[in-house]
Amino acid sequence: MARIVVIAVVSTRLLLAGLAPGESNIGAYTWFRYTAEMETDELRESRFGLERGYLRWNHRFTDRIDSRVNVDIYSTDKYPAGAGLKLKYGYLNFKGLIRDAKLTIGLQKSYFGLIYDWKYPTIQKCLEDKEKVIASADYGISLNGNIPKGYGEYAIQVVNGEGYKKYKSLVNLAPALLVNLRVIPIPGITIGGSALFERSGPEYDRRLLHAGIARVVIGPLTIWAEYLGAELGPEGNTTRGSGFMVMPALRLRELTGIDIDLIARLDRWDEDVEEIGDASIRATGGFNWHLLRGKKGKIGVVLQVNWVRTIYEDPDQGPEDAVMAQLRWEFVTKPL
Amino acid sequence: MKGILGLTIILTLAWLPTTGADLTLTGSTTVFPIIQAAAEEFMAKHPEVDITVRGGGSGVGIAALIDGICDIAMASRPMKTKEIKRARADGINPCETVIARDGLVIVVHPANPITSISTETLREIYTGKINSWKDVGGEGGTIVVISRDVASGTFEVFKKMVLKGKRVRADALMLASNKAVAQTVAQTPGAIGYIGLGYLSPHLKALKVDGVMPDAETISSGKYRLARPLFLYTNGKPRGLAKRFIDFILSPSGQKIVKETGYLPVR
Repeated sequence: MARIVVIAVVSTRLLLAGLAPGESNIGAYTWFRYTAEMETDELRESRFGLERGYLRWNHRFTDRIDSRVNVDIYSTDKYPAGAGLKLKYGYLNFKGLIRDAKLTIGLQKSYFGLIYDWKYPTIQKCLEDKEKVIASADYGISLNGNIPKGYGEYAIQVVNGEGYKKYKSLVNLAPALLVNLRVIPIPGITIGGSALFERSGPEYDRRLLHAGIARVVIGPLTIWAEYLGAELGPEGNTTRGSGFMVMPALRLRELTGIDIDLIARLDRWDEDVEEIGDASIRATGGFNWHLLRGKKGKIGVVLQVNWVRTIYEDPDQGPEDAVMAQLRWEFVTKPL
Repeated sequence: MKGILGLTIILTLAWLPTTGADLTLTGSTTVFPIIQAAAEEFMAKHPEVDITVRGGGSGVGIAALIDGICDIAMASRPMKTKEIKRARADGINPCETVIARDGLVIVVHPANPITSISTETLREIYTGKINSWKDVGGEGGTIVVISRDVASGTFEVFKKMVLKGKRVRADALMLASNKAVAQTVAQTPGAIGYIGLGYLSPHLKALKVDGVMPDAETISSGKYRLARPLFLYTNGKPRGLAKRFIDFILSPSGQKIVKETGYLPVR
C-alpha cells in the first residue's frame, strides 16, 4: 500500500513538474548505522542497517508558491519486512500573504518543542519523538513565520493530531490545535514554548501537550534544554506525563582545527507521574565528526558515534546500553 | 581496523582547511575585487597581517559568518530575516557596514548593435517571453541568457529590481561569479548578462537601461535605478583587526581603492 501511495505521489509530482513552470532540486539523505545493544552487560543485538534514507524533492512554482515531497526509505533487520518506505512530507507553501510568513498545506512538520528543527545532533530522536508523545509530521494546515529583525518565529497549526503514520480508525474527528513561539531576545539565547490541544482521540479523551525550550550559545558551547508535559484524559481522570532533556554540545573546530562536536545528553521521561516504576533516564555521550561540510555549512558527510545508557525506575529492569556508529551523508542538487 | 582508522584520520586532517589567516573574508564576488585590492594594500602596509579573501556568493559568505568560518561576510544584498534569525540563535549579532555603491550593468557582446534596453524588455528576455534579438531591435539570432546562480546577491537584487520576483527562464545559463558572466558574454556574440560595475571591461558593451547609462554620476544621483549598496557583515561591532581593516576601507585610501576597482565610494 505504502509503495502504491508513494508511486502515485511521485508520478503526480513528476507530471506537475513537467507541466508547471519553475525549478526543482532533489536531495538525498542516507544514514548507515552499526548498533550494538546490551542488556545488563549481555550483548543482545549487533547489526548494520540503513536505518534511514530520504529522497527530498523541492519544487518552486513561483516565488510565492513552492512545494516539498519527502519519501522516507529504510532498510534494516530491525523490522519484519526488512525494508520499507513511506511519505514523510508532501506540502505546498504559499508565501506573501503576511510578511515573512507562509501558509503550509499538506503533510508537514509538527511545529512543537524541538521536533520540527531537530537536526539529530545525537543519533536518537528528540525527547517528544523518541517517547512517541507527538509525531514529527502530520496532515494539516499551518501559518508559520519569522518575527521581524530576526527576533524569533511563530506557528499556528491545525492538524489531525495523530501523526503521519496513523490513518482510518486511528484518526479521530476532532483536529488538534497547535501553537508555537520562539523568541531570541539577545543573540545566543532562544526561549520558546509550544502547546497542542485536542478534544478527543481514538486512544484518549482530551489531550494537552506542552513543551518549553531554551537554547544558549556561548562561543563553541551550545546547551539545549527542554521540558515536556502531556495530559491525557478528561478533567478529574487525567494521566500526566512529564520529562526533560538537557544537551550540551561543544564545537571543537575553533579550538583544535578538527571539525568535531562533542555531545552529551540526559533525558528523563515519566509516562504517568502518579505511577511508580514507569520512568526512565537515558544518558548519551558521543561525538559528531564532520568529514565534509555541505554548502552553506550544512551536513555533507558526518560520522556520529553515540553511547546510550538507559536506566529504568522499575527495579526489576536492568540497565540497557547501546553503542551506535552512524555514517550519514546528505546532498542537494542545484536547481534543475 | 586500526590502519583504516589511521588512514581516515590522516586523510581528514589533510583535507581540513588550514589557512592560518589573521582575518578571513568570504562571500560576494561583486565585493571581492574591492576587498582583494584593499587586502593587498593593507598587508603591504602591515606585513605582519595575513588576510584571506574568498568568493562563493553573498549567501555563502553570510552562512560562513553564522557558522564561525569567516570573520567578515561580503554581501551585495542585505541579510534576510531568516538569516538574521539563524545568526542570532547561534549567538552571532550581525552588524552591517556599507563600504561602496554599485550599479548592475547589463552587458552584451561588443559586436551587438543594441545600445539601450528597457527594464520591461529585460524582464521579458529573462523570463522567456522574448527569445530573438530581432524582437528588441537587433539583427536577429537567439538571445543567450546569462544569469548568476541562486547563491548570488547580485542575482537576488536583479530578481527583485528587474524580474519583480518572477523566475528566470529555465534555459538561462546560471554562473557562479561576476567574472564567469563577464567572460561568457565577452566570448558569445548572442549573449546578454548582468554584472557589477567593477567587472565592466572593453571586451563588453554596457547597455543603457531605460535610457540611462550606468556610470558614477548616474548611479550616485539615483538616475540609474539598478543600483545597490555593498556590505560587510561582522559579528557585533567590528573589533580588533576587523575594525582596523574596515576603517581602512572607509578611509580616503580605501575609498580610492573602491573607485579604482570601478565602484562608487560612500565617503
